[in-house]
Amino acid sequence: MTNELVGGIRDALCVVIDPELGYNIVDLGFVYDISVVDGAVRITMTATTPGCPAVHFLKEGVASAVVRVPGVRSVDIVMTFDPPWAPSRIEPEIRASLGFAAVN
Amino acid sequence: MIGASISRWTMSYFAMALAWLFVALALMVARVGFPAAHLASPDTLVLVHVVCIGWLSVAMCGALLQFVPVLVAKPLYSEKWALPALGLLTAGLVALLAGFLGLGGRLPAWHWLLPVGAVLLTVGFGLIVIDLGLTAWQRPAGPARFVLAGLASLCATVTFGAIFAFAHAGWAGSIGASMLASGVPLHAIAGLGGWLTLTAMGVSYRLLSMFMLARDVDDRKSSMTLAAGALAITIAVVGGIFAIWLSSGLNAVLSVVAALGLATIALYGRDVIEIFRSRKRRQLELNTRMAVLSFVSLAASGLLGVMLILTGTFATHLGAFVFLVIFGWLSGLVLAKLYKIVAFLTWLETYGPVMGRAPTPRVQDLVAEARASKWFVIYHMAVWFGTLMLLADQPSAFRAAAAMMMIGIVGIIREVIRTRQLADVQSPLRLPDGACAPHLLFARS
Repeated sequence: MTNELVGGIRDALCVVIDPELGYNIVDLGFVYDISVVDGAVRITMTATTPGCPAVHFLKEGVASAVVRVPGVRSVDIVMTFDPPWAPSRIEPEIRASLGFAAVN
Repeated sequence: MIGASISRWTMSYFAMALAWLFVALALMVARVGFPAAHLASPDTLVLVHVVCIGWLSVAMCGALLQFVPVLVAKPLYSEKWALPALGLLTAGLVALLAGFLGLGGRLPAWHWLLPVGAVLLTVGFGLIVIDLGLTAWQRPAGPARFVLAGLASLCATVTFGAIFAFAHAGWAGSIGASMLASGVPLHAIAGLGGWLTLTAMGVSYRLLSMFMLARDVDDRKSSMTLAAGALAITIAVVGGIFAIWLSSGLNAVLSVVAALGLATIALYGRDVIEIFRSRKRRQLELNTRMAVLSFVSLAASGLLGVMLILTGTFATHLGAFVFLVIFGWLSGLVLAKLYKIVAFLTWLETYGPVMGRAPTPRVQDLVAEARASKWFVIYHMAVWFGTLMLLADQPSAFRAAAAMMMIGIVGIIREVIRTRQLADVQSPLRLPDGACAPHLLFARS
């Protein structure tokens, strides 16, 4: 059940994009962890740049998307920059289309 | 604080700044000010202050109101001061220009307008300095230190300017009169070199790293760049005042400042190359490619300055040198970054609130880079052509260059307006349920 819920949450997060890179935050590797305990969801995530005004909207967007998933009772989002995001976290085919070097 | 909020009045600053840039170019096309008039003439004073206060300073203040909170990851000290400051700056500039036009006989000689303008500008810039300074001071590290040095230089620039304005009205005594007679180069160096250039350098470090996903510049390296630049401005201001007080002439001071200025440009060039080398995004967006053209103008300004000094013709061609610094380096960089900032903030304002609830476009979907690039190229080509025509003493050809610049600027303004209107975003992504179209001149927040 928990695995199904985590899968549903991942699917729901695909509507949240990084506005600069233009891909969803799951494929970009922004989501570090999704934990669920009795419908209480805790998402640990990152962004490319601390202090960027988009960070606030990313966080709000994740909350809006996740709270609509059936089975979710509450959402807690932890924004962290440790470890910092790196392009190596991007899905390989997207990384190539974005023009990132393979190792960075 | 992890993310900064959207600055409500940055778009208003940008709109006012672009309007003043248009006025400046119209004046050049209409042969008002240099090169049709002498560098120290009232008409040239009008032109220079329209460009430096109306265009560059207002645009820089608007950008800083958004980006100082990003630089230090802290909220702006007071969002409420932004609009009154813009009003004071605009009213102050209008009064100052009317005073200059009075000096030149184009308006009645109401010399009191100059001190009135200076007071309004001092209060307006004062609000900005306190607002941004107290924000940046919360974490004075990295690029924020450049901004603090820039703001200190702004204080010096405004002080010189106010003394000159009062001296023109005959209200500053003999000290004011001698400052007015000899201190204009110090005013220009503090403004163009300290306030505008050091601030532009600091902001560019962060914006280039952010938009190219590059490593931040090594703190020790950027500190060295800042030290050279700040020392140049300090020597210009403090040493210059002493030299005027001792009536010893400014040549020695200006020579040291020139050497330190060149060192600052070289060190900045090294830092920018490091950012480009470490970038993770290999494909460059239009704003970065156009910023490169402004870096070329900065390097060319340095080379031109050296050549003019070595050939003993710096004083003769001072106008061409300053023109390249103002329109090639400073305006080129500000235009490139303004184009990107408008798109980015418009995206945040329109689509940020609906993220997670509906599919949204990318920032790149708000702009049409292929269409916009020609306006930037026309602008930069015209600036370089204009510089050459000033060096060749061809005022008619320079006027044609100014007209070309104007065409480029009108094209860029049109692109920026289209971005605010979401004109290039395809349906159904353009306005998803719950999204509000942005206002052209301010952020709905």
